[in-house]
Amino acid sequence: MSAPVERVVVYGGGVAAPMAALAIARAFGRLGTQVSWIDTGEAPSPHAALVGLPDLTSFHRLLGIGDAALVEGASATLNLGQQFAGWSDGEGAFLHAYGDAGTPFAMLPFVQHWTRARQAGLRVALEDFCLAAAAAKEGRVGEPCDPATRQAVKHGWHLDASGYAALLRAACKGAGVRILAGAGVQPFANDGRLHRLELADGQTVTADLFVDADGALIGCVDPVGSVEEVPPCDRLIRASATPLDPLPLYSRVAAHAAGWATFTPLGERLACEIAYDSGHLSDAEARVLLAQIAGRPLETGEAEALPVIRRGHAWVANCVAIGSAAGNAPLLDGAELLLLQLAVAQLVLLWPIDRADMPEADIYNEELSGSRARAGDFAAQHFRLNARQGEPFWDRARAEQVSPELASKIDLFAGRGMFAHGNHEAHNEDSWALCMAGHGVVPRSFDPQAMLVDDQTLMVEFQRQLRAIAADVRGMETHAQALARIRSGGR
Amino acid sequence: MVRPLELVIIGGGTAGWMCAAACAAKLVPAGVRVRLVESEEIGTVGVGEATLPQMKDFNDFIGLDEVEFMAATQASFKLGIEFVNWGREGHRYIHPFGTYGRPIGEADFFSYWVRARQAGFATRLDDYCFPIVTAWQNRFMLPNGDPDDVRNAFTYAYHLDAFLYARYLRRWAEARGIDRVEGRIVDVERDGERGAVSAVKLVSGERVAGDFFVDCSGFRSLLLGSQLGVELEDWSHWLPCDSAQAVPCARSEDFTPYTRSTRRKAGWQWRIPLQHRTGNGYVYSSAHISDDEAAATLLANLDGEALAEPRVLRFRAGKRRLAWSHNCIGMGLAGGFLEPLESTSIYLVQMAIMHLLTLLPSSEGIDPALPAEFNRVMDVEYDRIRDFLILHYLANDADAPLWEHVTAMDVPDTLAGKIDRFRHRGHVQAYRDGLFGPPSWQAVFVGQGIEPQAADRLADALPADLLRQRLDALAATIARGAASAPSHAEFVARYCPAPPL
Repeated sequence: MSAPVERVVVYGGGVAAPMAALAIARAFGRLGTQVSWIDTGEAPSPHAALVGLPDLTSFHRLLGIGDAALVEGASATLNLGQQFAGWSDGEGAFLHAYGDAGTPFAMLPFVQHWTRARQAGLRVALEDFCLAAAAAKEGRVGEPCDPATRQAVKHGWHLDASGYAALLRAACKGAGVRILAGAGVQPFANDGRLHRLELADGQTVTADLFVDADGALIGCVDPVGSVEEVPPCDRLIRASATPLDPLPLYSRVAAHAAGWATFTPLGERLACEIAYDSGHLSDAEARVLLAQIAGRPLETGEAEALPVIRRGHAWVANCVAIGSAAGNAPLLDGAELLLLQLAVAQLVLLWPIDRADMPEADIYNEELSGSRARAGDFAAQHFRLNARQGEPFWDRARAEQVSPELASKIDLFAGRGMFAHGNHEAHNEDSWALCMAGHGVVPRSFDPQAMLVDDQTLMVEFQRQLRAIAADVRGMETHAQALARIRSGGR
Repeated sequence: MVRPLELVIIGGGTAGWMCAAACAAKLVPAGVRVRLVESEEIGTVGVGEATLPQMKDFNDFIGLDEVEFMAATQASFKLGIEFVNWGREGHRYIHPFGTYGRPIGEADFFSYWVRARQAGFATRLDDYCFPIVTAWQNRFMLPNGDPDDVRNAFTYAYHLDAFLYARYLRRWAEARGIDRVEGRIVDVERDGERGAVSAVKLVSGERVAGDFFVDCSGFRSLLLGSQLGVELEDWSHWLPCDSAQAVPCARSEDFTPYTRSTRRKAGWQWRIPLQHRTGNGYVYSSAHISDDEAAATLLANLDGEALAEPRVLRFRAGKRRLAWSHNCIGMGLAGGFLEPLESTSIYLVQMAIMHLLTLLPSSEGIDPALPAEFNRVMDVEYDRIRDFLILHYLANDADAPLWEHVTAMDVPDTLAGKIDRFRHRGHVQAYRDGLFGPPSWQAVFVGQGIEPQAADRLADALPADLLRQRLDALAATIARGAASAPSHAEFVARYCPAPPL
């Protein structure tokens, strides 16, 4: 007979540790599972912001995190997408909105009709047929009033990382998580399993399952399981500026000659960061460049190294590494929070049946390494498809080897406007289409069934969709109105 | 202006005419010229008398009328497959086209069932599945459209006469612009020695040229296998049955809305009820039984008078290493063969057609991304079905040499992991689309006697008495729902009566 997990220790700080502790306590606390969080006190950088994709909103319901609390406590704003500027079309920009790449019709994805029309001379961009993108650009958000639009506008969040961590910590207390302060614990393993932790004050903590957001515990059971690499973009500086007014509904990722800068709109500040290749740009130059791109005075933090740590197995024996302890996430497309959320949700779904033997680890590692690889592909497409010619950083980025899965995705979209759907996809077909089209890929051919629609009908349908989008956007509330409503507790 | 594509379909069996009908509906009006070459001298196998629910999607997609199609093919309805003597002698279970239970908490229904089963207050899994309970009473109704009603928690497939289906599709496709070319193929022309297929030559001397060829020539795999040299990836070490004998018998009173598969000494026997007759066959391993003995076994186990002599088929389990090579796609038996244990033959043809429609190249050449994607998705389909079929063989009484062999053999790694995970906690990986979903795996695992040792801990949160109440109420609702459905025979006689042949 299997014995349930009774005691869990979560070790670490930042956002990852309290998120895991909270999720576990809410799912299994009522079954008698005791959750302790040994807080290393490691706080997110004061300038850091997080980009949360729309799925985060449903995850928050499981965590019991309310929208008003996010706006109050984490300076949150609504997130409808991410804008990429200067990547592929001179200084031009496209918006990767978390919405539909047009409304399907005549039993085919819209992209097929769009490809056909582009070949016949249409100039309208794919994102112009995306309601969420149109709404984001107009600073408006909400559901479409015309049901014929058949597109949804789902929002994620822009979050202040420190505020979000504090909010999760408070929720942990409410959910019965025992919080102990304790950086620098000494882990002890037996037969490859973690056995106990000794805290600096001499206290000993034991558990059936250890969740490691720090790296020290997984390093103890799997000391050779990680590889550290220096990525092409090896440095990062974070900063803050006064908030934008009006507040945009999307973050902006602006390419520069040796990397990129990201601007995430928060209620109380504009979070800025610049990632760069130290071979081409010094820290001092990067600081100046960030202020220049931001176009406003900055309060700037220290430059940090950006090592890439990859870990083969996140779950080894009775220890599960999450967050950066499981490996760094790409800096784009909200990957950091997405992968953390998937890691925590998957742990709850695969909660071990038996504390003595956890074959769940294999399933978990397969799922998570799949999700990590696919999220990595999504970020890698931006570099593969960049069109900044003659800049060493970008020329090299374009030539960098990509996974066979990403290569097939790009080939198939470029060839036929279709999506090579694999397991563990982190982003949907529409997101891929909007990004690849945004980077300038126009498919070379289309589904022959698109020709079942005559030219006239096609034009009428395109105009109908554009008109419906414009009308729907006019009927939506502004970002400021939406935030005020959320703050006052309205749904 | 790009010249319209010339598409040639080789062979006019079930696969060929399904492909032609889809082309008639979706490609001919889009400007593709489509011809089908077949010879009346060559018989067809007519596989796939039992189908999967996806077939309804196919028929709807090309625009067939369900009632007319069912009447024309002597069809009946199918709610699942009954497995008799599988697992152990005397046992039976149904793999349903539907889900088990309904949501009763935050864990999935199956986890609650496992928990209740271990606590001793759940009855067998089948009792919580509307299509199974209905099927075992020989009743049938269409899904009632109410998402909250158990009487909507299923889909259905058909039993049909595959020869009549091909004939029906032929009439339908010819009326919609498909040119049929009569004649046996005697030669294949290619661009150079190793290049694309450019034309086929008929015994009459006629030459049928095309840009793209769909090989539906059956086991011979005339273009893909013989001409282009794409080999069969042999799976017979996992699926050793290599022969079948088929025989129709007179329709009996037992007009089941399900296919039956009965495990036998050297394989298994199918039973497929149609309106005008019942189809039967014995799929067996020729190493473990002689043809004569197989025929005798088959004839001794019919529930009606045999209407013909048993017909012998030979095959080997496997798939062509590439489903698309050069300018040619292999479909149906020309692309691979998997025994009809889970009625997947027509499904595989249908998938190949759907992918062909979206990935069809232009007359100007073939973008390599198109065959790459076609081959990738077809491989996924074949591999998943293969593993699911092997699962049926693994857990059985080792009561004859064949069964000693298959219950002790090494299985593909992809399957071994699945079994361990299911045993440990009832885990089944869900796919986005394609065969088979979690309820199918649950049905066959549990049916074959592989049960989870424990359930998802999330299922422990519901108090036991409440769980018991919910399970009892659900079983009662399902039983009431099933009792409200008319008999399958009545339903078919009213809905889609076929004329006598």
